[in-house]
Order: sequence, then C-alpha cells, then structure tokens
Amino acid sequence: MSERPTAQELTEAIAEFLGGEILPTITDHRLRFRTLVAMNALGIVHRELDALPPEDDSARRELARRIRAGEVTPKTLEQVKADVEARLRIASPRHLERYENGRAE
Amino acid sequence: MRDALQAVLGPVSEPVLLAGGASKEAWAVDAGGERLLVRRAAGGVIHRHTLSLRDEFAVLEAAYEAGVKAPRPVTYIADLDGREAFAMERLDGETIGRRIVQKPELEAARAALPHQLAEELAKIHAIDAARVPFLTAAQLERMVDELDEFGEPHPAIELGLWWLRENRPPERPLVVNHGDYRIGNVVVDEHGLVGILDWEFAHLDDPVRDLGFGLVRAWRFGVDDKRLGGIADVEPYLERYNELTGFDVRSEELDYWELAGNVAWAIGCLTQAQRHLRGQERSVELAILGRLGAEVEYEICHLLEKAAA
Repeated sequence: MSERPTAQELTEAIAEFLGGEILPTITDHRLRFRTLVAMNALGIVHRELDALPPEDDSARRELARRIRAGEVTPKTLEQVKADVEARLRIASPRHLERYENGRAE
Repeated sequence: MRDALQAVLGPVSEPVLLAGGASKEAWAVDAGGERLLVRRAAGGVIHRHTLSLRDEFAVLEAAYEAGVKAPRPVTYIADLDGREAFAMERLDGETIGRRIVQKPELEAARAALPHQLAEELAKIHAIDAARVPFLTAAQLERMVDELDEFGEPHPAIELGLWWLRENRPPERPLVVNHGDYRIGNVVVDEHGLVGILDWEFAHLDDPVRDLGFGLVRAWRFGVDDKRLGGIADVEPYLERYNELTGFDVRSEELDYWELAGNVAWAIGCLTQAQRHLRGQERSVELAILGRLGAEVEYEICHLLEKAAA
C-alpha cells in the first residue's frame, strides 16, 4: 500500500464528513433521504475496495531507496517524473493540464 | 468563554468562534473599544516543530517591537478556561490567498506588495535572536526524519532532498525566520500590506529560506506565471530586500530555497494527511492533501529539470 490515504480511506473520510457535518444540517426530508442513500452507495464502494488486491508499489519503493542511497543517474529524474505523472493523472489531472498549457515560463 | 475572557480583559462582547481545528481556536471579541483576536489551544495534538502559544506570543512581541507590521500583541493568558491562549489586535483586510491574487480592487495592493513584503522581511531578519532564545535552528535532516515516519515511498521528495544536499549554497549566518512567509499568511487591504500573521513556525534559519518560501507554486493560488505568490515577478522583491539588508542574495540562491520550500511543503502535505489518518484531526480537507501532495512533487520535478538545463 503506497498512496495514502488509500481509495478506501478516502471513502471513509467522505462518509464521516457527510454523516457528521452535512447530514445534521439538512432539514429537507427528501434531501436527507438522498444523502443517506449516497452514504449507502459509498459504503458499497468501501466494501468493494476491500476485496481488491493492494497496489504493488515495489518499483516506487526501489526507486526511492536507490535515490536515498545516492544512486542517482541522468535517467533518474525522468523515471521520477513519470511516476509522479501517473499519480497525478488520478489525484489531480487538471493540474497536469495546467502545466502542459502554461509551459511558457 | 465570555466569563473567562472578562476575568482577564475586563468587559468584553460575546466572543465569536472564527475557526476551530483540533489544535487551535480563533475567537473574535471586542474589549475596551478594541477589536481583538484570541488564539487558544484546542486540546488536540499540536504539530511537532510548531511553537507553543506562549512562545508564539513572545515572537509576535519581538516582531512588533522591531517595527514589523503585525497585529499588536495584547496579552498572554496561561489559563483561559483550562487552556493557554493569547490576545492580539484583530486586523482588517483580506487574508484569503485566492482573493488577494485575483480581486480587481486589490490591483494597487499587488503593485505595492513586492516592496512591502521585502521591507517587512528585512525587519524580521534583523530581530535580535537573543530576544527569542527559545527558537531553534531547522535542519534539512529534520525533513528526512519526518518523511521516514510515514513509511511511504516518495521518489520525487527523495530526489529533491538529494539535490538540496548536493547543491547547498555557502552558509549564511542564521537569522530569525518567520517560517511561513507567504501570501495566505498576510493581511492585505487596497493599499497593500496591513500585517504579517501566523508566527507559529518561527525558527532560526538561513535568511534566504524565508525569502524563497513565498515563491512556492502552491502559494501562487492559480496565478502560476507570477512567481512571487501569484502577485508579481521576483526581481523587485529581491532587489529591495538586498538593498535593505546588504545580503546580496543571488537569484540562484533563491532558486535553491524555492526548491527547498517545495520539498518542505510536499512533506507538509503528507504530515497534514497523517493528522487525519492517525485520528488526531479527522477531516476530508487534511486527508486529500495526502494525494494533492503529488502536485508539489511535480513542481519539484519541474524545478529540477530547470536546474539541470
């Protein structure tokens, strides 16, 4: 397990936010009901993620270990950047686009 | 809370809670015709490497005495309803970074800010360290220790730390650093800078550490092409600072500390996410920083590419 919070931990954080901070403020019955349904749906995602095998992060661990040991080659930056890009495509794809559009500076 | 405050400050208005995290609260209250802000510990686990409220208050006092634009410190309160706190002047103005970099009515402020930020920083760096003897020096190694606590592999942070070790500029004498000197921690009105806030990360460090921290892309609030906090180019800020301090900081040194600032904030993102994961302060906002730290890691790669070019 490499990326924290994991997808499952993120669903927990969202569920706590909805249940703890949003739900108590909703007075409209229909909205309340739909929020509870949404939390149920989130529970399904949480349990489904439970069944998945953990991400294999051995390559990332090895890369980090080599850099820490001072084994840095002209190729290292390229490898590191590709790894961060892959994570950003999940975490924040729009951020990546902003860089690609704003290369000027 | 009102009774507890009245015992210290005399008659006060009904206190209003402006912000309350697990570690600190901020209350707005008026006393003796003065608008005050009360910062109070909130009982939760405090960040490592942040000052206690007593020490933060002492730093604020030293800064205010040195003529730094900062809220006037009013009083330290060792026991405010069971927890430590301090009262300071409540400044009027904008603090939200995104608004400071974007609001049309703050355009004149953005023009004035580069020189003003340089001037205040020069004053902060001239504070006599003997006045705040509890401040300790920050070390690059401390960042490595923090990273190791998380047990997650982050090659970009490792590569940033490696580069910082290999390319360290000649050491400068340590000065009092604000520690978090950037848009987002300043109060701004239509004329420019009103005051510097958030002194809890104050420590002793290379002066260029503070000078470069405000260049970190995350503090440009979307206006990426303005390297100084999304408001301006760096050169007028750097020139004014050099003029006042005589430190003759070179732009390569600033580049070095900009990278160091990004590495520190990339680790900071992980630290914040850990507060959530360890249950010290459960919050989606803190949790997602664990993933958004990848944005900062990407900037580290970008800066390393520029340095290699």
